Amino acid sequence: MDTHGLIAEARRQDRAALDEQAGKQLLNAYGLTVPKSVRVSGAAEVSAVFEQLKAPVVIKVVSPDILHKSDAGGVRVNIGSPAEATAAIKAMMASPAISASRVDGFLIEEMAPAGQEMVIGGVRDPQFGPLVMVGLGGIFVEVLADVAFRICPIEQRDAEEMLDELKGAAILKGARGRKPVSREAILDALLRVGGEGGLLMNHADDIQEADINPLIVSEVGAVAVDARFVLTKA
Amino acid sequence: MSQDILEQFGPLFAPKTVAVVGASTRGTALPNVFIRRIREFGYTGEIYPIHPSAAEIDGLKAYESLGDTPRPIDYAYIAIAAAQVVPLLEAGRGRVRFAQVISSGFGEVDEGKALQDALAAAARAGGMRLVGPNCLGIYTPRGHVTFTEAGPKELGPVGIICQSGGLGTDIIRRGSARGLKYSGLITVGNCADVAPHELLQFYLTDPETQVIGMYIEAAKNGRRLFEILREARARKPVVILKGGRTQQGLLAAASHTGSLAGDDRVWVALSRQTGCVLVNTLDEFIDTLLIFQSLAPHPQHPMQRVVLFGNGGGTSVLATDCYARLGLDVLPFEHSAIDALAELKLPPGTSITNPVDCPVGTLRQEDGRVAEKILDTIYEKGSPDALVMHLNLSAFVGRTSDEVLDNLVQAALRVQSRHPGRAHFVLVLRSDGDPPLEERKRAFRTTANALGIPVYDEMASAGVALAALASHERFVHSRNA
Repeated sequence: MDTHGLIAEARRQDRAALDEQAGKQLLNAYGLTVPKSVRVSGAAEVSAVFEQLKAPVVIKVVSPDILHKSDAGGVRVNIGSPAEATAAIKAMMASPAISASRVDGFLIEEMAPAGQEMVIGGVRDPQFGPLVMVGLGGIFVEVLADVAFRICPIEQRDAEEMLDELKGAAILKGARGRKPVSREAILDALLRVGGEGGLLMNHADDIQEADINPLIVSEVGAVAVDARFVLTKA
Repeated sequence: MSQDILEQFGPLFAPKTVAVVGASTRGTALPNVFIRRIREFGYTGEIYPIHPSAAEIDGLKAYESLGDTPRPIDYAYIAIAAAQVVPLLEAGRGRVRFAQVISSGFGEVDEGKALQDALAAAARAGGMRLVGPNCLGIYTPRGHVTFTEAGPKELGPVGIICQSGGLGTDIIRRGSARGLKYSGLITVGNCADVAPHELLQFYLTDPETQVIGMYIEAAKNGRRLFEILREARARKPVVILKGGRTQQGLLAAASHTGSLAGDDRVWVALSRQTGCVLVNTLDEFIDTLLIFQSLAPHPQHPMQRVVLFGNGGGTSVLATDCYARLGLDVLPFEHSAIDALAELKLPPGTSITNPVDCPVGTLRQEDGRVAEKILDTIYEKGSPDALVMHLNLSAFVGRTSDEVLDNLVQAALRVQSRHPGRAHFVLVLRSDGDPPLEERKRAFRTTANALGIPVYDEMASAGVALAALASHERFVHSRNA
């Protein structure tokens, strides 16, 4: 897939960031696993879509005006039937934050297997170029700022040292009786994003900020459930 | 590529011709002092004072512009008012290789930012590379050029790039007092043209330089700095003292060298990825450079067990805590080593597990020669990767003859020659500031330095340096396996 074309298209539409679907196409092009999803323009298309996907699904609003979908009430999880989906979309449309925004449609997406929430991020430093970041999700990132940064491109050993550096590293190994998550899957995702020839290096001039949050990591793999790419000012 | 960089920067570090701009006929300006200093420092190449009207300065024939000298200029030292520098450089006519602009009033102040751009453009127009502005000069023993009267004439292995002039002088003075010897120290100020990473590349290639130290406020081109360090894979240790790592420090740096220093997390990442050592203070910078100058790293066997041997029980305990926090292991000995030390039948009050804590009463046995037996036993049975011998000089005062301390230090130095390359050996000489003791410490330090043994004033400073050495060894071990 032409990932540069994907970004060029967003720029043509004067967007400051890639929408979620484009962001996931970008990730998919770099070999990260994203949930299977279909975009609909409204509740009418829901039944047809349900035949293509494995329930339960998540429904997310797609809008260039909404960066934080959950905060705007634009995410509904665990939707088991077309009827529930139709109701969820109608409810979203009625919510104040969403009805006031441009809405491009809704993304109906299979739910990722349960696992540990991680975050992989990227930021463009004015002097050093792209940096890649990893952390555990939720309060680990938001409250404790337990993250590790490296300058791109990273090597396998850098990726390993980044994970070992996290204060919450023990959680990945299965603390408190939980099963360990796939370290290989996190390392693989980190290298695809921050490694030589990876996403951040190849699009260093275009990506100001990347936020793959959450990346849900289970025993067997890692799925990028949401992704936000803010573009550099042209 | 490697030859290129040596050829390119060689004339800066060993200029055959030097132009001096700003010297007065009265002989009192800073550039007059510079002429006097390089002559005293042994400079025998040609010196061309540049002056708009004078025929002669300090007994040397003067020339009207940089374009008028008999031979092309390898290095021009320029200290005149900021506004006059631009036309001066433009007159270079491609005959100047390096111009170092000492003058300030450029990018470090708001009203000078445009002038700094004009300065860089003038250097390009005049066909030269520009070092500075807003710096103090270069100290280069191989070229017999120096901006400061401090500093040994002897060429050494430590190459320094310093974004602050005053700190550069401190590094030469304090470092020399500690035994550092330099392959060069260049102050780079605002870095309007020549950037720190270019000089780093020179030192990495330069056969004289074995250890590199950088004081940086802003990388200028961080990407290149990263790429060069990454590519070098720590083949020479690089120690970085980064100024402006806090919000308030950033503001201070902005008004010092006009730097926008950026995000501190990048520097931590840089150090983890490239194996360069990030330090926090001038003391740590010198302590760390000293250990790399003195001790060859053992990357095939990264440092694990550190053995402490000396007098002071509390000192040993505190040092063990401090070293543990630094990630160093003061691991207790195995039985074989403890048994061997027990056989020496040292007096009660001696602890022989590691730390090996010997009160003065033990150390004065055989007039201090007992230290030799203890050290030999530690080397043979204790599997040390590093050995820190510490003496609290004050504790000996009034209890032993002067000879005891002499013998202890001599014993320590002698033992080294019997176990070459076995373990890193570091001497810590602690004192209370009493002038006669300080004098003896200085003498011990000189003797030890001559044998390549680094000497520290405190356990903590030795610990910081050892931790840097250990981290360098681990990096090289893991990345070049």
